[in-house]
Amino acid sequence: MDFYLGLIQIIGVHTLLGLSAYCVLLTGQVSLAQAGFFAIGAYVAGMLTVLLHWPLVLALIVSAILGGAMACAVGFPALRVKGLMLVVATAAFGEAVRLFFFNFTYQVQSGAILLGPHGGEGFRQIRYFPEHGWGTLDVVLFIWTIVVLVMAMLWWMDRSRVGAVLRAVGEDELAAQSTGINITAVKVSAMTIGGIIAGIGGGIFAHYTTHIEHIQFGIVLATFAIAYPILGGLSNVFGTLLAVIFIQGLLIEGLRFLGDWRNLLFGGLIVLAMNIRPRGLLDAGVLMTLKRLVSRNGERKGA
Amino acid sequence: MRKFNIAIAAVFAGAVLAAPSAAPAQDRTVKITGFGAKSGVVRVFGVNSEAALKAAAEEINKAGGVTLGDGAKAKFTIEFLDDRCNAEEGISVVRRIASSDAFVAVGPTCSNVAESLFGILQKKVGDGSDSGLQFPIIADVAAKGGLAKISEWSFRNVPSEFEMYKALFAWLKTQHPDLKTIYGGVEKDFAHSNATFGVMKAQAEANGMQIVGQSEWLLADTTFSTQIRDMKRANPDIVAISAHPFTTCGALKEMERQGVKPKLLIGLTSSSSIETLQGCAKQAEGIIIPTSFAPVTPEAKKAADNVAKFGGSADLHSAAAYEIMFILKDVIEKQKIMAKPDTVKADREKMRAGLAALKETNGLLGKVGRTADREAIKPFLYVHAKGGSWQVLYKPSS
Repeated sequence: MDFYLGLIQIIGVHTLLGLSAYCVLLTGQVSLAQAGFFAIGAYVAGMLTVLLHWPLVLALIVSAILGGAMACAVGFPALRVKGLMLVVATAAFGEAVRLFFFNFTYQVQSGAILLGPHGGEGFRQIRYFPEHGWGTLDVVLFIWTIVVLVMAMLWWMDRSRVGAVLRAVGEDELAAQSTGINITAVKVSAMTIGGIIAGIGGGIFAHYTTHIEHIQFGIVLATFAIAYPILGGLSNVFGTLLAVIFIQGLLIEGLRFLGDWRNLLFGGLIVLAMNIRPRGLLDAGVLMTLKRLVSRNGERKGA
Repeated sequence: MRKFNIAIAAVFAGAVLAAPSAAPAQDRTVKITGFGAKSGVVRVFGVNSEAALKAAAEEINKAGGVTLGDGAKAKFTIEFLDDRCNAEEGISVVRRIASSDAFVAVGPTCSNVAESLFGILQKKVGDGSDSGLQFPIIADVAAKGGLAKISEWSFRNVPSEFEMYKALFAWLKTQHPDLKTIYGGVEKDFAHSNATFGVMKAQAEANGMQIVGQSEWLLADTTFSTQIRDMKRANPDIVAISAHPFTTCGALKEMERQGVKPKLLIGLTSSSSIETLQGCAKQAEGIIIPTSFAPVTPEAKKAADNVAKFGGSADLHSAAAYEIMFILKDVIEKQKIMAKPDTVKADREKMRAGLAALKETNGLLGKVGRTADREAIKPFLYVHAKGGSWQVLYKPSS
């Protein structure tokens, strides 16, 4: 049981990472900076709970604020460029953040040991969960409360005028601009929301892995972040969740029994899925089918 | 759509097959699960560990197996899971193992995975306020110093690199008093090589050597021209490379290309392996490395042959895995572990207590001491690359 609960934790945190990229993708931008915001959240939350003994929720709030602030700051210059140039600019930012933590050392003596980030050797002993008696189920409930809140917020946003504006910019920037939408403000806002979500995700990540180091926040994580919403589809937030379950639950954990073949199949199955469902696992067609099924069931019950 | 459904169904079937399952107790087998990197740049370490675990299990099984707490004899079976040298995956793998009837796990390969894993374990045994996982893990490869301190459920059978390099530099001072300057090359983004480089530098300075510079590179780097150019400029007597075989070879080849010829070369423990010889035997000629394994005793020769039969290579890391199987056998017998589904919790506690109580174990090169913080003090020797093979240069204890 512990194994499955642990897996649900991983799926929860990666869903937050994917949702952070989802916000940006809605505006038609591809950002590889999400891993950087995730790293900022991880280090900040870790330092606050380990070095200053802050409660986790407060630490996550600060992580979210800093992640968002950094995303906003990056958003202004980075979003002046488009397409491939933006990919390069955001990837460069992500690498800069990673290299910052690679060189960042801030340790304080705690009894016989030194605690805090230690450059390339990472930051160990982020043991808030076990030290406060949180069981695996408690951690799952905590993570998923946050995931559900974030998903609900994005779901609501998607259905509000804000969502319509984001999608309008994503569909056709020129058309959106001609209707008086401030493109820069929309893109930077989306980037900021993404940074906030990534900051929270990173903060939780640091606490369930107990040890973080720069190498975890590299280009691979950034690629995963945008792969989730692209593979899942941008029709709604559940596509990202479905993609995380597909990748983390099935491809990574489910195929572990295949040993060396797992890595080959991993890439192959993603390519296969993208070919069969080019608009994502949960595209508009699937949503229509689901809606039809739900309404048919409702009619039967009514009859 | 149908094709996609079939693909999904196949993956689901795989997931179901891979789900942790309870091993039937009546067949009297004891499954030991190892885990580590079997993919990626450090894949070879996982491959060697798996081969070593299987080789040792076969050796024990041939001799009659292990005696369980109820007096029954059981055979060892080995399962090895890939964590891709990724901390998140390592945690998941250990949770998977701990969800089964296993009472111990052997691994991981990478120190960064061990850091995370040992962090999720209960820190102090019996501390009710700590909800960490209560599951014993004994590491065979993860070599960064001091990792077992993280939890009282974590153990290691890896050599102390601090002791090895301390002795090596003291020995070099007596053997080569004329060598005064040293230049370092470090694989900066890998926890083990980075930490060990700190040890090398400190020991060099402690023995009166002057550090004239250092070059840094990353585990996945393939070009080293800038770093070696700096090294050439420094013109050191000694070059100490703290890197794994892949980049050690890259750096050595670049040194040859640029004509950098130090009077002495020192390498990282992990590079005293067949991979270095396969990758750059010519360029590595003469490199001195302290290691806790070489086929210099009858037991070590036999182990090397057995590991080779399972498609692996015996080196200081896989030899540790080989030794661990014999350690586990002894602890199972001494602690009267039952290895039954209904005794899992008690068996884990007995295994932890048994491992913690060890003062000395039998190693392939001789007796291995155990410290209070659950680390090993292994005998070691210095090898050097000569004519395409590793040859013993000096054995400090002899």
